[in-house]
Amino acid sequence: MFRKHRGFDHGTIREMELHLRDHIDDLISEGKTEEEAFQLAVREFGEIKPMAQEVYWSQRPISNNTIINTAMLKNYIKITVRNFMKYKFYTFVNVFGLTVGLSIVFLIGLFVNDELNFDKFHDKADDLYRVVENQYYEGQPVFPVAVTPIALGPSLLQEYPEVLAFTRVSNEDYLFESGERKILERDGIMVDEHFFDMFSFKILKGSVVGFKDKLNALILTEQLALKYFPDEGPVGKGIKLGGEEFVVSAVIQDVPKNSHLEFNFILNYENFLAENPETANNWASNRLYTYVQLSDQADLTGFNEKIKGHIKKNMENSVTDIYLQPLTDIYLGEVDFVVEVQRKGRMMYVQIFSIVAFFILLISCINFMNLSTARSAKRAKEVGLRKTIGAHRRQLIFQFLSESVILTLIAVVLSAGLVALLIPSFNQLTNKAFDLSTLFNAQSGVILVVGVLLMALITGVLAGSYPALFLSSIKPVLTLNSQVINIRQGAMLRKVLVVFQFIISVVLIIGTIAVYKQLRYIQNADLGYNKENIVYTSVGASQSKLFANKLRAQPGVVNVGLSNRHPAYVLSSSSGFEWPGQNPDENILFHFMGVDEHYMSTMQMSVIEGREFLEADTAVVMINQKAKEMMGLEDPVGKTMGSFYGEMRIVGVVSDFNFKSIHSEIEPIVIFKRSRLNRVYVKYADTHQGAIANTMKTVWDEVFPDKEFHFDFLQQDFDDLYNAEERTSQLSTYFAILAVMISCLGLFGLVSYATEQRTREIGIRKALGASVKTLFLLLTRDFTRLVLISLLVSVPLGWYAMNSWLDNFAYHTNLGVGIYILSAVAALAITFVTVSYQSIKASTSSPVKALRNQ
Amino acid sequence: MISKNLTAASTKPIILGVLKQGSSYGYLIIKKIKEMSQGRMQWSDGMLYPVLHRLEKEELIRSEWIMADNARPRKYYHITEKGKQALLAERDQWLQVNSVLNAIWDIEPAN
Repeated sequence: MFRKHRGFDHGTIREMELHLRDHIDDLISEGKTEEEAFQLAVREFGEIKPMAQEVYWSQRPISNNTIINTAMLKNYIKITVRNFMKYKFYTFVNVFGLTVGLSIVFLIGLFVNDELNFDKFHDKADDLYRVVENQYYEGQPVFPVAVTPIALGPSLLQEYPEVLAFTRVSNEDYLFESGERKILERDGIMVDEHFFDMFSFKILKGSVVGFKDKLNALILTEQLALKYFPDEGPVGKGIKLGGEEFVVSAVIQDVPKNSHLEFNFILNYENFLAENPETANNWASNRLYTYVQLSDQADLTGFNEKIKGHIKKNMENSVTDIYLQPLTDIYLGEVDFVVEVQRKGRMMYVQIFSIVAFFILLISCINFMNLSTARSAKRAKEVGLRKTIGAHRRQLIFQFLSESVILTLIAVVLSAGLVALLIPSFNQLTNKAFDLSTLFNAQSGVILVVGVLLMALITGVLAGSYPALFLSSIKPVLTLNSQVINIRQGAMLRKVLVVFQFIISVVLIIGTIAVYKQLRYIQNADLGYNKENIVYTSVGASQSKLFANKLRAQPGVVNVGLSNRHPAYVLSSSSGFEWPGQNPDENILFHFMGVDEHYMSTMQMSVIEGREFLEADTAVVMINQKAKEMMGLEDPVGKTMGSFYGEMRIVGVVSDFNFKSIHSEIEPIVIFKRSRLNRVYVKYADTHQGAIANTMKTVWDEVFPDKEFHFDFLQQDFDDLYNAEERTSQLSTYFAILAVMISCLGLFGLVSYATEQRTREIGIRKALGASVKTLFLLLTRDFTRLVLISLLVSVPLGWYAMNSWLDNFAYHTNLGVGIYILSAVAALAITFVTVSYQSIKASTSSPVKALRNQ
Repeated sequence: MISKNLTAASTKPIILGVLKQGSSYGYLIIKKIKEMSQGRMQWSDGMLYPVLHRLEKEELIRSEWIMADNARPRKYYHITEKGKQALLAERDQWLQVNSVLNAIWDIEPAN
């Protein structure tokens, strides 16, 4: 009879059964019959149902201090869902805004995390360093150089016990010959044996044991192995590189995208040394990167002090100090090294994007707060009623906070989906390799889930805090005794928040336009030469003249010039020049390059003094304007200059041109006229854009029948060079659009609410004869005023921020007033469109309807 | 006959008081109370168990099943140290109520 009541557990049932048996036994011993005893005992025991309930409640966990119990929680969720359904539009605006905001934060988080973790996948990342140089020249800023002499690595290992290992890394291009195919493979490196211990690039097949002695060892990445040995195991196979036979000794994993070192194949540096034994002790020329592994007990600052003068110690008259740069600092390092690796990020962008993410999240939160407080009038009655029937303030706070947290969670789930959809395009935009499987693997999966939940909680609490505190403080009597309650308290704060939102949005608009303008400026900048319609290739220096001459005869070829440097990467420099009137205390570093007599005209450089090179010229140079200034020569043409090639006569001064990144200022350069040059630059007619490659190939096959033809467009190199800026520009455009969109969404919500509240007022005004125009102005005036106020702050702020950013460029655009006017007009126009929809709707609706509504 | 409310209010000190005299099991506790109140307190036997469980939850008493070879198993309840303290507190309160009531009964009708 007890078992059908769920309040009783087994022990209790047994206990009560025994009670009855005892009682019955006693009654029988008093002389009652069994039947009577049973009846009496049961009657005295009493009703079971209330007992069962009593037991049930007394066994439930009692926690007097928590306000969260199951019953209430159910109630909260129920009311939350009801509110969402009731105010579908506001819920949509909130969830949509938050979803977009959170998605951006997610994506930027991925980006920033990836940037900050560059090169950290190496197990020994914390002990690895790159040796870099600071060179000092008279009257010039410090000249930071990332490449070092060949002799440096071995000598550091020998002299300092702190150095456990070193490897040199030098970039190499090789012509791969595989059967009929001849392909120039770039992105090769030559390394020392410790490379494989120091860096954690996984070896997939074969081995690197005894690498040092295998002079002809070749290690391929998976990708390259597949290219040359598609159907067979490559290990042990031979292949010709630059005419020399190499043997594949191992296959290594493809280099991860977050490695600053990029390569496709690896050769043995010992091989180079065996062929060029005299270079092993070279301290004079900086040609490769040196990496060292330091003992983990070593103190970096102290060690840097010790090795600072190491090159000077080994080479007289050196102007070079060295120091160690932590491996993990290379990618985002602040120093703009000369001869830096290609894959280089900018800390500035990481910072900018982090700030943008934060602000976008803030804008979304502000929307949320604004809409919730605005709606508070509608919910005030609910609050009043709840308070009257005994709800505590903290229960109400909890109710509102749980509403906003649930809403945020919905947004989180949606944004996770959105991020998953956007990842492919985002990868393309940022040149990264995020994918869902790496995002959701065991370790980072847990971090992600916890992180996301934490973010939802923080966002929810942050966004819901003001409405929660505000609504819960409403006095019940105020809400219950009047029909229409107008809560004015929140209005001021709402206005401040809207202004704040628009400040952020306008600054982002200004930023986007500025980045875009600067990028166009760089791309169209006067480099001092014309990079358009130029295609180039490199050939054996002995046959370049022949090749160039044959090309000149082709249709569509305007001009052909030869040089030994890429016009945007002139990196060789020397201070070993002499000229009349030279200040003996001054040590000026000149860059230098060699060209033929057609180069200047091919590149359309302008000669401002003297003349160009002539075919018959020997022992002549040209200098640029900057060099002329620094040398202090009034009239340099005809003067002689001492150089490592001997005495040279200056025949002309060329107008300054950019031979490095446009981030850096123009430096002095000496241009030699040389005859053996390997780079061929072809200027072609506009009309031959499509045909020029074929034209060149025909000539190539004639001159170099056994070599693979390859070529590049100069314009393309520039596009690559400014990839980072291009990406930033694109990203910031998207972010600005989204930020403005989210802001407008919030504004739209607020306007809808305001007009809704004023329906009766509008109705009366209309009934009294107000025109649509008057009403429209009435409704838009408030918000327009807010946007105008925000412009007062955002324009100076944007001006300051963007000018600071532009200072990073040696050559930058002038922003002018146009950009601010444009941003201001854009912000106003967007506001106007947003506000108009609701205003026009309200002011054209029938007054009867408006009045009946209330 | 003592009213239901008063009975309910006094359950806690009565049970604690009975157990103070010695550990006991449900049926015996009820029997003792009935004897002492000489039937003036109306108890339905079953209501004892929820109260016992509640007191146990509040750690005023603890229980254990005692299995004897030739008798029925019994769930014995013992008073804890905390229970003894609670009993003292209850005693104080009841005495106070009692003294207030005494004082009231002694007042001469005013007129």
